[in-house]
Amino acid sequence: MTDFDWNLLLSVDWPEIGAATLDTLTMLGVSLLATVALGLPLGVLLYVTAPGQLRARPRLYAVLSFLVNVLRSLPFVILLIVLIPLTLLLVGTSIGVAGAIVPLVVGAVPFFGRLVENVLREVDRGVIEASQAMGARLPQIVFKVLLPEALPGLIGAVTVTAVALVGYTAMSGVIGGGGLGDLAVRYGYQRFQTEVMVVTVALLLVLVQLLQSAGDRLVRRCRFD
Amino acid sequence: MIQVRDLTKHYSHHGRRVAALDLVSLRIDAGSIFGIIGRSGAGKSTLIRCLNLLERPDSGEVRIGDDALTAYSERQLQQRRQRIGMVFQHFNLLRSRTVAANVRFPLELAGELDAAQMDARVDELLALVGLQDHQHKRPAQLSGGQKQRVGIARALANRPDVLLCDEATSALDPETTDSILTLLADINRQLRLTIVLITHDMRVIRQLCDEVAVLDHGRVVEQGRVIDVLLQPQHAVTQSLLAETGFGQGALQGQWRERISTPVLKLTFVGEPALQPVLDKVGRETGLRVNLLAGTLSEIKATPFGQLLAGVVASDVAVSALPDIFAREGVRCEVL
Repeated sequence: MTDFDWNLLLSVDWPEIGAATLDTLTMLGVSLLATVALGLPLGVLLYVTAPGQLRARPRLYAVLSFLVNVLRSLPFVILLIVLIPLTLLLVGTSIGVAGAIVPLVVGAVPFFGRLVENVLREVDRGVIEASQAMGARLPQIVFKVLLPEALPGLIGAVTVTAVALVGYTAMSGVIGGGGLGDLAVRYGYQRFQTEVMVVTVALLLVLVQLLQSAGDRLVRRCRFD
Repeated sequence: MIQVRDLTKHYSHHGRRVAALDLVSLRIDAGSIFGIIGRSGAGKSTLIRCLNLLERPDSGEVRIGDDALTAYSERQLQQRRQRIGMVFQHFNLLRSRTVAANVRFPLELAGELDAAQMDARVDELLALVGLQDHQHKRPAQLSGGQKQRVGIARALANRPDVLLCDEATSALDPETTDSILTLLADINRQLRLTIVLITHDMRVIRQLCDEVAVLDHGRVVEQGRVIDVLLQPQHAVTQSLLAETGFGQGALQGQWRERISTPVLKLTFVGEPALQPVLDKVGRETGLRVNLLAGTLSEIKATPFGQLLAGVVASDVAVSALPDIFAREGVRCEVL
């Protein structure tokens, strides 16, 4: 790309780039919210049902854990295609921003749930024992001890998941998911308009940087020292 | 009163069953401070966790007052535990909460007070442990001793009738240990609170406890009033725990024992006689000449005591008459 002609940037269809950026942000925002809403309970469930934990249910844990592993081992591109019938059923379309959100959430929930489980395991056993000694019931332990004590780690997990989702949204261009990835594939790859590719990649990069530094700043602000 | 009857608990360790507790029975008087001492692995930690059923014993019974905890459902236990305080070696405070919010935590769990009442109770407790000025700090900003004070305030929040201390001073330096022990003694007196503590440190037993049980391999090998157990230890484990703290008469096991040709007396002074010149008086009256060989002069929970080993040469009386003569002065005398 040494002979890249920077003047080409002038010919880029900026309104279209703007619309695609908005699509990406919409997909990211909605799927991240849904992922946290579903993945946090999944992570808590994995944590409390694991062998030796507060409500050990080894069978249930084994089943959940297996499902999480299966979903995580499927490449996201394949998941996109496999899930088309489910997406049609849920949102009525399998393309565009709406069509991309279902596979994004299905791909990210097991990932985030596993991260949450690991973050919760880092909470000091002694603190949990102390709250049991004070007569805390399981919901009290979860909401008053586990989640607050794990907050910095949980914010870190959300950040990692958001960054991973940016990557997924770009991939959803493959099934016509809309957004920056879609643009890059259609113009940059199929029509050889390298300048569009450069712009979308730059925007994705900026987005990831912004997410990461916002996440880091939040973690720093709520650390407990 | 706390009653523990025939408590048994096994663990499987590499497929083998190991007894952590083996038919342990204890009676702990209401309002007393009861110490359980033993080496690591003796079962202390399991025993104290069986008192509030954090660990379920395989068999046996735990009663606190009229409540047979071992017969309780999980729900009933949760209720009852709100009034059994517990203090931990590593404090186990919530890092996400301030000092005041940590003390407030058990009040929130119980849910019996409204917000204003909780705040008032928190202020009261912080004043009790001397931490009013630190209430907005987080645990990470406190010293070990301050953290343990928060732990104690938290344990007292719901006005418990029993306080369990799990090696509460083992992570603290000697000076801080003294201040925490003093605080526990004050609390015991002021609130008429029963305290059960486990420790591997004989000094804690000596400074704080009324009664002591010595645990070894999951069994209680010796039990009684601290002053009796410390001054007349019967079991080898008790003797070696005492010897480590410079207590007891290990000195006389040395080879120089053979070079002393005179009879040797072991004199034990407890309370008032320890403050009187008894040895001098008996010496003048009986012509007894004394050669002090080893001794301890100190106090056990504010009771002064002394224990001396002395080689003696008696001129006017027979050595065999000395125990009675000393007994008249309130001093226990044994001829070794």
